[in-house]
This record gives sequence, structure tokens and C-alpha cells, in this order.
Amino acid sequence: MLMEIERIKGLNFHKKQDVAIVGAGITTFKRRLNETGKELSYYAVKQALEEAGLGIEDIEMVVMGSAPDAFDGLHMKGEYLLDGSGGSDRPYMRVFVGGGTGVFAPIAGYWHVASGLADVCLVVCEEKMSSCHPHPQSAFKYIWDPILDRPLQPNLIWIFALEMRRYMHVNNIKHEDIALVSVKNKANALDHPAAQLAERITVEDVLNSEPMALPVRRLDVSPPSDGASALIMVAPHIARQLTDDPVWVAGVGWALDTTWWTNRDLYFPRYVAEAARMAYKMAHITEPRKEIDVAEPYDPFDYKELHHMEGLGLARKGEAPILTREGVTARDGDLPTCPSGGLLGVGNPIAATMGVKVAELYWQLAYRAGKRQVAKEVTRGVAQAWGDLMQVGTVVVLSNKR
Amino acid sequence: MVFNEKIVDAGELKHIEGKIELYWIYTSGEAGDRFFKALKDEGKFLAAKCTCCGKTYFPPRIYCEYDFSETEFVEISGEGCVRAFAVATLDNNEESLKNPEIYAIIDMDGTDGCIIHLLGEMDAEDIRVGMKVKPVLKSKEEREGRITDILYFKPV
Repeated sequence: MLMEIERIKGLNFHKKQDVAIVGAGITTFKRRLNETGKELSYYAVKQALEEAGLGIEDIEMVVMGSAPDAFDGLHMKGEYLLDGSGGSDRPYMRVFVGGGTGVFAPIAGYWHVASGLADVCLVVCEEKMSSCHPHPQSAFKYIWDPILDRPLQPNLIWIFALEMRRYMHVNNIKHEDIALVSVKNKANALDHPAAQLAERITVEDVLNSEPMALPVRRLDVSPPSDGASALIMVAPHIARQLTDDPVWVAGVGWALDTTWWTNRDLYFPRYVAEAARMAYKMAHITEPRKEIDVAEPYDPFDYKELHHMEGLGLARKGEAPILTREGVTARDGDLPTCPSGGLLGVGNPIAATMGVKVAELYWQLAYRAGKRQVAKEVTRGVAQAWGDLMQVGTVVVLSNKR
Repeated sequence: MVFNEKIVDAGELKHIEGKIELYWIYTSGEAGDRFFKALKDEGKFLAAKCTCCGKTYFPPRIYCEYDFSETEFVEISGEGCVRAFAVATLDNNEESLKNPEIYAIIDMDGTDGCIIHLLGEMDAEDIRVGMKVKPVLKSKEEREGRITDILYFKPV
């Protein structure tokens, strides 16, 4: 018998309580750091606790997000990172959806608090990519289907080149328009103290940079990094004791498309659209372009910011490059995107990019982003990440109004 | 922690080198066995059609991931169209490739699926999205029942 099933999951759930973010932390992002993953986690957690005005003894449960074990070179990486993450002697779990982890970990933190299982949950994300040799990119040789894909020795950059080509072809977009994203984000990163690749560059610099897998060139791509970030998520009665200006989680969503990535049309990120549909419905957002004030779409490549803006419904298909060219997505524009500097400017320690996505959105909505604060008045924002075999979309909507 | 210092060679830090010394044996599975046997012995291409919705999977598999019903094998030509392509100039270790390699997603005729493979016998400048291509196989004696039995795809 066929049952009528609501396709968007998680919307009729009974939440015990609302969830607020009251503190965040981020380490510097660098290509290579001396600190171990545990130490990086420790620094991020200390900073988040300090901002929230809490001590580690106040933390009830811990969620750790970290991407492939291959980077740090340790199986059971979650357990390895436990002590530096404040997970000793309390409920602790690791979540992992590849590049989507940086937004998935706070979603898992949300479950912990919304369900009432915890009133204070610490979310920590860590990545130390530089341990992996000969190059962090080498680890990606082992994410493919071992029978069908791996014998051809693809790597991620080449696959993204295919996706970028498809996006450009279907929407008739020029590389010049895509390069503007890299120019914007690297310049935004000049105001981020953690930034690895902040610089003023031009469209010509991007178009003339080293070819990696055409159409992808060096300056289209974010760098591998080491780093960590942390967030503190609490119940309303705790938030009231800590701050007058908590930022609330208004909606969360996640979705995965098929692992048979060659069987998908790569020009549009359906998995992001599905995840966004779930998060927006929970947040009662019907017109994201009008109702979202600031966005942190996932930008490991310049075209991905545009691709994801379209998936998030912040632009129509093929329209994101036009908004970028017109300055709409600049920090003083009508819909600032990646005001943090994004992965392109601040760096890309996979899971730890929570610090430039959800943490940045929190700082923006709490008006604590300092020099990075967007010009317009902000109430609601969206952060998103993406990963696995280009198939997972993870979305969080935050609001400074409950 | 260090904010200003830039570390260029991690080997200069106090460190230990380590390896994970394991290797794996991956089986090709029920659908994979049929597919690779047809390719190796007969030079033929198999896809799999869902007995419920009719969606035709390539590479073939024994189930439809949307209906969770069974599939049946169907023979296809092996020809297709270029859906997207990339010209790789750096290898997996970010070393420069002497001869750039051209990878493409190929939309396989008669199926709802695509595969990724190499393009050959053409210059990067001449490739267009939508271009018709056909597979070039290794000789029957050289074929091992692997995806690399297809050397590359070339223009029709």
C-alpha cells in the first residue's frame, strides 16, 4: 500500500525547546601549523567558552565534526580528538559528511539541545590537513568507487572542473563573472584575523593564474588548511543568563543526492535546494531572496558560491553571477555573501570551516563581526556547506529575533 | 598559538613519520561481474533497466535506488555525448602533467546514466559539450575486465 508521505522530513517534530548560540571560536587557518588537532580544538573551545562566559564544567554534551580520517592519518579520529575538544567524561559524538560537516556539526548540536537532552552543548570542528603527504589532495584519490572510478585516477579538482564547465555551459556564464567571487572573498578576508589567503587581486589575476584542471585555475580554488572552530548552543533559560543578544537557530536542513555522481546533472545543486527547503520551512521563510539578509554559502571554489546561492534560492538559476557583478553580494550590498572572506580567503580546513560559515553568521547577527560587519541591518541569515561526493547539502538558518 | 610565523616545511618541526600499511580487495559485485564479463569477452556494454519505473542505469546495478525494485540487463551501444569535460594539467600530488589529460562525463545513449572517462584522438580546443563520442577498447587479449579496458572515448 502506498502511503502519503510528507517528502520534507523533520517538520512536524516536537521540539522541547528553542536553541540559541551564545559563543563561537576560531583558530588561525594556515597551510601548516605546529599545533596538533587536539591543541587546535582546545584553542577554539577556549575562545568560544570565553565569549559565552562559561567554563568547561558548564558543558553537558559535545559534538565533534571532522572530515576524512585520512587527513590526520588516524582512524577513530573522533576519539583521538576527544580530550582537546572537552569531550572527556561527558556524552560525546563525532559527525561526518565530508565537506558538509562544518554545517552538519551545528545541526547535530541543535538536536542535542532542541530535544531537551542537553541545555548546553559544545560543537567543535577540527581539521589538520597538512599531516597528509605527499599532498592533502592525495587523500581524495580514495573517496571514489574503487571499481568504476578509481582506476581512472580522478581527483577532486578535475571533478569540480567538470561541474564548473557544466554550470558555465548550461547558464552561459563566463569565467570572468565567476572570478569576481574570488576577488570579493579574498578582499573580504583582509578583515579576518584568522585568514590564510587574504589579498587584493583582480579578475585578470584569476584568469592568468596557474591552470590546475581547466577551466579551474589556482585562484579559483580555496587552499588546504589546518584549523579548528567551536560554537556553544544553549537552551533559552541558559541564554537569558548569559547575554541580552543571543542568536537563535531558526531552521536546519540536510539532504543527500545519489552517490552515482555521474548520473546527476551537475549544473544545479539539488541536494542544497532540498536541504534549504527543509530549513526554510522550519524557519517559516517563503521568499529567501527577500527574507534573508546575509548569507554564507559554501565557497571552496569561486563558482560554488554562485552554484550554492542558486541552490539556496537566493538567486534564480544562472542569476548569481549577475548579482555578484552588480555588487549585490558585496559587504555593503543588499545581500552580502561570504562577508567572512569565505573558504577562498580565510582558508579551507574542511570541517573547521564552521568558523567562517555558522560562526560568522552568528557574529554578523549578534553585531559582533567587527570590521567584517555588513553595512545593512540584519535579522536573518543562512549558512550552508556541501561535500561527500558533491552530494550533501547542509543548511542552517539563524535569526536574532526569536 | 603562532599567528605570524609561516611554516613552509613541516619536516622542520618536531615530528614523527608514519604510514597506514593496509591494502584492500574490492569485489565488483553482481552487476559489476555481468558488466565487466560482457565488456571483456564480447566488447559489449550492458545497462540495467528498472522493472518498475523504466529508468535505465549505467553503469548497471541490480536495484533501482528510488523504487527499490529489481532491474534487468539491457545491451547498449556504448556511444554517447560529452556532457562536461576538464583538461587536467596537475596530477593528484599537484605535480605538473607533461601531457594534459582530458576527462569527460559521457551521457550514454539509451540510458539515464553517464560515466566519467578519458577523451582521446582529439585536441582540447576541439571538444564541445554535446559532442558525439564512442569508446575505444583494448584488444580482446589485453582486456582484463576492468573499466580501463576502455582506453578512452573518441569522436564519432
